[in-house]
Amino acid sequence: MNGVGLVLNFETILVILAASLFGIFVGAVPGLTATMAVALLVPLTFYMDTIPAIAAIVTTSAMAIFAGDIPGTYLNIPGTPASAAYVGESYALAKKGRAREALGINLVCSVFGGIFGTIILIVVAQSLAEVALQFSAFEYFWLAVLGLSCSIFISVGSRTKAFLSLLFGVLLSTVGLDMMSGAPRFTFGVPDLMAGINFIPVMIGMFALNELMSYYGSKSEKKTISIVDNDSVFHHVPGHIKRYWRNMVRGSSIGTLIGALPGAGADIAAWISYGVGKGRSKDSAKYGTGNIEGIVDASSANNSGLSGAWVPALVFGIPGDSITAIVIGVLYMKGMNPGPTIFMDDSGLIYALFIVFILANLMMLPVGYMAIRLSKFFILTPSRILMPIILCFCIVGAFAINNSVVDIWLMLIVGLVAYLLAVNDFPMAPAILGLVLGSVVENNFMSAMLRTGGDLTSFFARPISAGLGVAVILLWCSPLLIKAYRYYQQKPGTAH
Amino acid sequence: MRDVFTGIGFMMAGIVTIITAQQFPTLPSLQYGPSLFPSLVGVGFCLGGAVLTLNALWQRRKATAQVVQDDPTPATSPSEKMGWAMVLPPIAIVFYILASDYLGAMLTLTVIMFLLMLLRKTKTYVALITSVVMSFAIYFIFSHYLLIPLPQGVLLGGSLPWIF
Repeated sequence: MNGVGLVLNFETILVILAASLFGIFVGAVPGLTATMAVALLVPLTFYMDTIPAIAAIVTTSAMAIFAGDIPGTYLNIPGTPASAAYVGESYALAKKGRAREALGINLVCSVFGGIFGTIILIVVAQSLAEVALQFSAFEYFWLAVLGLSCSIFISVGSRTKAFLSLLFGVLLSTVGLDMMSGAPRFTFGVPDLMAGINFIPVMIGMFALNELMSYYGSKSEKKTISIVDNDSVFHHVPGHIKRYWRNMVRGSSIGTLIGALPGAGADIAAWISYGVGKGRSKDSAKYGTGNIEGIVDASSANNSGLSGAWVPALVFGIPGDSITAIVIGVLYMKGMNPGPTIFMDDSGLIYALFIVFILANLMMLPVGYMAIRLSKFFILTPSRILMPIILCFCIVGAFAINNSVVDIWLMLIVGLVAYLLAVNDFPMAPAILGLVLGSVVENNFMSAMLRTGGDLTSFFARPISAGLGVAVILLWCSPLLIKAYRYYQQKPGTAH
Repeated sequence: MRDVFTGIGFMMAGIVTIITAQQFPTLPSLQYGPSLFPSLVGVGFCLGGAVLTLNALWQRRKATAQVVQDDPTPATSPSEKMGWAMVLPPIAIVFYILASDYLGAMLTLTVIMFLLMLLRKTKTYVALITSVVMSFAIYFIFSHYLLIPLPQGVLLGGSLPWIF
C-alpha cells in the first residue's frame, strides 16, 4: 500500500503527464531517439525524488517508442530506431488512406506490449531476486561478463566493432581512483576526474551531441506530408485484435525476452519479432505491402522489450538496454543500489515502480490518441529550430550535474569520439554497457581475488558461478560451433 | 578504406593505454594491480584494431580483384558524406565554455541558438524570438527552479538578477 501512496500524489502524476507529452514529442520528431530523450531528461530528474524521477524516465521512453511510429506512418521515416522494422508496412497502409487505422492498432499493441512486459517483470523479477540474494562477487563477475558478451553477440553488424565500442566504454569506466590501491588512473591531473567519469555528460555526449553533429553534417531536410487521413483511429482495432491476438502475445513474449538480454533493446526486439512473424504467417507474401499483421508483431515487441530490459537491471543491476543503463546511473545517484535487496526493503519503492509502469502504459492510450490526431503538428516541427535548442539543453544539462565546466568538456570529447565511431558504423549500446558494467566486472574480480588470494580457479568453484562461467565460454564459442554445425549439415548435401 | 584507418587508430590507442597503465603503482600484497584492466583494454584495442584493419584490407583486395576493368566509381568519400557543418555543435560548445563567464549563460545561449538557426535558413525574426524566449526559459528553469549557478557574466553582471 505504501507503493500506491508513493505514486498517487500530485507531483508524480504531474511528472507522468509532462513526461508523456515530452516523450511523444521527442519520439515523433525524426532524428531524436528515445535514448536521447532520456539522456536529456536526466539532469532534471537529478533534482526530483526517486519515484517521480523513475516515472519520468519510464513514461518518456514508452511514449517515445510508440510515437516513433507516427513519422514512420506519414513520412516513411522512423521516428526512433525501434520503429524501423515496420515503417514499410505502416507507410503502405497510410498511402491507402488508412494512416489512422495503422496508428490505432499500433497504439493498442504498444500498450498491450508494455503491460505484458510489466507483468512478466513483476512475476519474474520477484522470484529471480530470491535466487540473486545468494550471489557473491564470483557470480556477479560472471553475470557482468555475460552481459557484456551478449551486447557484442546480439548487436547488428560487425562484432569486431561492437567489441571495440565496448572496450571504449570499459576504458572510460577505469578513469578515477582505483578501488583497491587508491591510485589515480587516467585523471591527467584533473581533480574532477578523481571520483571517476561522470555518467550523465557521457550519456549526453554519446546520444545527443552525436545526433546533433550528424544532423548538421547532413543535407537540410524538407518535410511534406502527402497522406490523407480521414479514417477512424480505433474503429478497426477490435476486429484486428480478434484476428491477431496470437501475434500480440507472441510479439510481446519475444520482445520481453530480447529486451531482457543485455545490449539488445526495443529496436532489435522489433526486428526479430517482425522476422518471426513473417516466417510463421500464412500470408507472408502480403508483408511489405501494408500488412497489419507485421505491425502487430513488431509494435507489441518494441514496447514489451522496454519493460523486459528492466528485469536484469532491477534484479542484478545489469542493464538490458541503453535506457536502463541510464536508469541504473540515476538509481546509484539517488543512493538506491539496484540488486535483489531492492525487492526486500519494505518502503514499497518497488511496488511504486510497478504501478508507475502500468500507469505510464495506460496513459499512452489517451495521450497517444491525441498525438495521432495532432500528428501533423509534431512531424512538421522544423529541426532547424529544434536542434539549436537541444544543443543548449545539452550544455546546461551537462553542467548542472556537478556545476562543473569539466563535465561540459567531457560531454564534448565523448560526443566527438562517439560521432567518429557512429559514422564508421560502430554500435553505441555496447559502449554504454561497458561504462556501466566495466566497474562491476573489475570490482567483483578484485574483491574475489582478494578473498581467495589470487586463485583464478575459484571462479569455477561454486555451482552457480561455474554454470555462468560455462555459459560465457559457450557464448564466445558459439560462432565456431554454429559454423561447425553448418559445415556438417552441408557436407552430406554436397556429396550427392 | 575507412576501417583501415579506424583499426590503426584503435591499435595506436591500445599501445598508448598499455604504456600509461604500466606507470600505475602496484601493491606488493595484491596479485592484480590497478594496471590489469586498463592493460587488458589496451590489448583488446590492439587485437580488435588489427582484425578490423586486416579485414578491411582483405575485403578491398577481394573487391579490386573482382572489378578490375569496371568503371572506377569510387564510393562516396567520408568527407563528402559528413559535410563540414558537423563541426558547428562542438564549436558552439567551446564558444559557450569560453564566453559564458564574460557574457553570462543567457546571452551566450541566445547567441548560439540565433546563429545556428540562421545558418539553416530560419527567418530572422523567428530565430530571434525563439532564441531569446528559449534561452530565457532554460536560464529560468535551471537557475531559478533547480538552483544551478549558471554564470551570470561580467558584461551584464548586477543588472540581471532583478528578475530572479
